[in-house]
Amino acid sequence: MSAAIPRLSGGLPLLGHLLELRRRPTELLQRTRDECGEIGELRLAHQPLVMLYGEAAQEAFFRAPDEQLDQAAAYPFMKPVFGAGVVFDATPEQRKQALRNRSLRDQAMRGHAEGIARETERALAGWGDRGQVDLLDFFAELTIYTSSAALIGPEFREELSAELVPIFHDLERGTDAIAYVNPNLPLPSFRKRDRARRRLVALLQGIFERRERTGRKTQDLFQILRGIRNPDGSPRYTVDTITGMFISLMFAGHHTTSTTASWALLELCRHPEWMKRATEELDALYADSRDVSYQALREIPVLESVLKETLRLHPPLILLMRKVVQPFAYRDWTVAPGKMVGVSIATSNRDPALFRDPERFDPSRFEPGREEDRSTFGYIPFGAGRHRCVGAAFAMMQLKAIFSLLLRRYEFELAQPAESYRSDHSKMVVQLAQPCRVRYRRRAVEAAVAA
Amino acid sequence: MKIHVDIDLCQGHGVCAGEAPEVFAVDPTESRVVVLDPDPPETLRAKVEAAVKYCPTRALRITEDR
Repeated sequence: MSAAIPRLSGGLPLLGHLLELRRRPTELLQRTRDECGEIGELRLAHQPLVMLYGEAAQEAFFRAPDEQLDQAAAYPFMKPVFGAGVVFDATPEQRKQALRNRSLRDQAMRGHAEGIARETERALAGWGDRGQVDLLDFFAELTIYTSSAALIGPEFREELSAELVPIFHDLERGTDAIAYVNPNLPLPSFRKRDRARRRLVALLQGIFERRERTGRKTQDLFQILRGIRNPDGSPRYTVDTITGMFISLMFAGHHTTSTTASWALLELCRHPEWMKRATEELDALYADSRDVSYQALREIPVLESVLKETLRLHPPLILLMRKVVQPFAYRDWTVAPGKMVGVSIATSNRDPALFRDPERFDPSRFEPGREEDRSTFGYIPFGAGRHRCVGAAFAMMQLKAIFSLLLRRYEFELAQPAESYRSDHSKMVVQLAQPCRVRYRRRAVEAAVAA
Repeated sequence: MKIHVDIDLCQGHGVCAGEAPEVFAVDPTESRVVVLDPDPPETLRAKVEAAVKYCPTRALRITEDR
């Protein structure tokens, strides 16, 4: 017998709390916790969503097996982006392959670090001594190249152009929660999403044809996938499916890293004492060797704390969900199959039980002695449990590599009023709202060394 | 020193096997850690502590024998 699950007030007759989720998701998720406590039910159109709050309830969520809580069915807005036969259509067994492809294994990280440093150098090549840059534009393009080089292969990266930036922008903007009503409503953002996906399929088709024509041999992930044959000799994966795999790999690591890099730089500009500490740390670390190597990236404590604090206050995903397949019991409550359960990263990361003065930007909360990230199921910018982001270590390494170069080479300051920088939460993929410009100036010390 | 693994958290990244190959390996078919020596000698302490520290999913823990 289940105790009654408290219901959140408000909500419209048909759409429930869907519009509130699209407009003010962080506030909605906090309001559910404030009104209902540890567990509370709201509604996304016809779909009931039971939110779980606090370390213990979140632990139950993250430990539940796939047979009980299904990840795939909870994100209908991703299906038209990935396409048929990709990620969420795959079995848990197939999904496990993701790690076996080795690009995220620890041994592979060393090579990635150098690749990311090279890519960042390329991106900075045209900067000159001073100027202005839009953070979303800059980091979105940089992370497309770094991610595709690391996850697919360096040859593929050279076959890409800046054309991918608007394509991924449109795919990311196509993750509107209105998909809970229907992911194919005739909306401009969904039309753009579908057009961007078709364009990307054509682009990859072109790359494959060029490779075949020129007889170029590569051993990257795409070529390997393309080479897998059915018993009758036909390719096992169509270009459409491979495109979907590419999108799914990129979705995990692209907008997330690019948004985090942007917010980290903004928070450093807003908190000059931390900018100073982070820059001094890097200057000292790279004093003898100028190489951004894996070893150097291992321990950069101040920068790492800054990045962790950025992820705490500005998590690129704010809500994780699963569809209940077998009854999900927690304490006195049982959630019935067909409903969804959710955990709010945004709310948990600002839980006053876990974080002292949670609204404040204070990277020292992660320093030895305080270690406010010690709660595996409370500090959850990357989720937790078996579905924890497999790219978390890669992401941190990538951010450290990028900032190792940026902060040693340039000084930054805000080019807009401090409060004008904000996240756009209208889509499930959170992005920095544009404009988000900063000014940069080459550092005198760095200039002297370079000369 | 005793090693504990929270297997729900392990994703088989293999960082532990890189830090302390005497103590950890990754089962390639399961993508999960295999503890080769659950009670390793003190001489391996530094390596084991590095494995615990750098585990990307924080699946490892050390307890002390008394």
